[in-house]
Amino acid sequence: MPMAQLLEDVLQALNAGLLVGALYGLMCVGLGLIFGVMRVINFAQGDFMMCGMYAAFYLFTALGVQAAFGPYGGPYIAAILAGPPLFLFAWAVHRLLLSRVTGMRVTALEGEGHYAQLLLTLGIALILQNGGLFVLGSVPVSIRTPLSSSAFEIGPLLEDGYLTIFVNKARAIAALVSVAVAIGLLLFINRTRLGKTLRAAADNPQAAIYMGIDVERAHRVAFALGVGITAIAGGLLASSYPFTPYVGLEYVIVMYAGVVLGGMGSIGGAFWGGMVIGLIQQLSTLVLPTQLQNTAIFVVFLLIVLLRPQGFFGRSVERT
Amino acid sequence: MTQTRRDVMAATLGLTAATGLTVRIGQAQAPAEVKVGLLVPLSGPWARFGEIMRRGAELAVRHINERGGVAALNGARMRLVVLDAGDSTEKAKNAAQRMVAQEPDMVAATGAYLSSFTLAATEVTERAELLMLTLSYSDLITGRGFRYVFQTSSRAGDQAREAIPTLMQLAQSASGRRPETVGILTDNTAASISFVEPIRQEAQARFGVRVVVDETFTPPLSDATQLVQRIRSRRPDMLIFPVTVISDAKLVIEKMNEFGLGRGRLPTIANGIAVAQTDMLQNVGAEQLEGLMTVVANWDAKGQEQIIEEWRRETNEPWMTQNAISTYGDMWIVKYALEAARRADRNAVAQAIRTMDVTDGPAAYFPGRRIKFDANGLRENAGLMVVQWQGGRPVTVYPSQSAVAEAVWPRRT
Repeated sequence: MPMAQLLEDVLQALNAGLLVGALYGLMCVGLGLIFGVMRVINFAQGDFMMCGMYAAFYLFTALGVQAAFGPYGGPYIAAILAGPPLFLFAWAVHRLLLSRVTGMRVTALEGEGHYAQLLLTLGIALILQNGGLFVLGSVPVSIRTPLSSSAFEIGPLLEDGYLTIFVNKARAIAALVSVAVAIGLLLFINRTRLGKTLRAAADNPQAAIYMGIDVERAHRVAFALGVGITAIAGGLLASSYPFTPYVGLEYVIVMYAGVVLGGMGSIGGAFWGGMVIGLIQQLSTLVLPTQLQNTAIFVVFLLIVLLRPQGFFGRSVERT
Repeated sequence: MTQTRRDVMAATLGLTAATGLTVRIGQAQAPAEVKVGLLVPLSGPWARFGEIMRRGAELAVRHINERGGVAALNGARMRLVVLDAGDSTEKAKNAAQRMVAQEPDMVAATGAYLSSFTLAATEVTERAELLMLTLSYSDLITGRGFRYVFQTSSRAGDQAREAIPTLMQLAQSASGRRPETVGILTDNTAASISFVEPIRQEAQARFGVRVVVDETFTPPLSDATQLVQRIRSRRPDMLIFPVTVISDAKLVIEKMNEFGLGRGRLPTIANGIAVAQTDMLQNVGAEQLEGLMTVVANWDAKGQEQIIEEWRRETNEPWMTQNAISTYGDMWIVKYALEAARRADRNAVAQAIRTMDVTDGPAAYFPGRRIKFDANGLRENAGLMVVQWQGGRPVTVYPSQSAVAEAVWPRRT
């Protein structure tokens, strides 16, 4: 029954793409928030995600989350709890380091301080990677849960046992949590006073200052929140993916591609950008060799940048 | 001509002085220490594998020095010089360049774990005439006509040619049925490709099987759904699964369990040490690994109980993987060569290794129990080992002289 087989392959790829894409989407949202508000290209975002993965891992194994919530709920509680410590860590990083090369004080500099920002975030990335190797070691770890090797089985939808779709439980729950966190962030940005100050600081920092908004504080909140959200995404990934201190390198390119695809400055766009990356990555294997799945991402990425440089949801003009 | 007493005295004094001088010169030529290099990844995704090699080498050097160092060099101590090969072939090559430039008195080195790293690094060491021992598998390593590269492992292609018929036989005797179809799921690293090439090319002619699914991926995977879906839909009798990254191994093994193919339902043969690392226990769990086999060039085995016990005490690692035992053995090969060469000279040591043919000493740490290299630098009759997860531990099940347990062919349920 080759037709049913083909249909099963397509649905399975679609399912994998959606589940992986939702997680990529949340990673991209964190980076998109930082870029959207601060206009800072944060090369250390993947490494902050790595810190989130380790935070979730130690919360789960050593700090009692597994004992309290068990191997089913524990991984997701640990992932969410990884957000606040990384929020505080990022707050401190901004306060002590990043604030010196961002914000209003560098607008008059050549390239609006981007060169210093690139160097600083790259330096932070290297420190986190190598410091992580020194402190945490090179042994790959992951949050173990029975959910990562079990699935919700849908089907068989046809006779003779054909057309069964396996939806991985760990990935499905991670995807749901990702969507919930992304929606929560959007509500926060659109409905709260603090969220509005972030938008004001993003749209026109000068005008925001005139309106009495503390732009530097808004940047600090955006940076810490962006890192915290990516840390939660990392915590969610930690149950299906063994990681070492170098794991961030594997994801930072995906994050940037997602943010650019979605449209720089758009938080919702960043989520959909990540989702599209996940879908391309998985669906491309239906027609291309698996070795080329990441190549396919960048071919589509280049096409979109060529045809729609502002991304799916980006603004086509420079901000005022 | 008559000799006066004065002449005899002078001659005696001269001889004494000359002898003393000779002894002093001899002592001056024997260095207080001999440098041996270890070029392995200590950062990046393969750091864990390099770390195990470092510990194996350090243990061997400590043992050699505690037992008197290199006797032929007046007890010179061996000193390990460790270099990080990093996470790319470019970094491995740069590290090799640093090694040959900064350590001109180094006599030998070992490395670099990944075949692609070894291929890059040995381009440098060959030019510097520095001998390099390696446990890497790729067929290319000793296929380039180099004179200073010595491969202690059986090449990946040879491993496949030897192991697959053995495993087929095992399947037939255990299940009463010889596998007729095979699936290949491999990453695209040099060693993995070398392992699957003979199966791809000679499946029917040599092994009597048909390849029904053949997938190659670039590590690291983000998700294994599509790969395992294809295996599930083609239903091979056996899966060949060479893999080098632990995250890929976890994703595939867990996905196989999710799709109802795990825990022996689809007999799976890996290649290399990734699936038998201690880290797999933490990341996947013993129950999902039970029955999984892997073909490796070396593993801890019968007759090595003492060193295994010491390894456990020293490192808290529950068993010695190929990386640990082979690198431990490499240090003993260099020590043996230094004893034969009687000089801390890299060319003399390389020549000693070329002519080495021993069945004791360092041979105890390698399958086949013999160290003899052919003209290309490949260890003759290097053999292989098959390791199988049984009761939460990967145990050697082949060859019989090294096996500590019987192989169990997983029965499909």
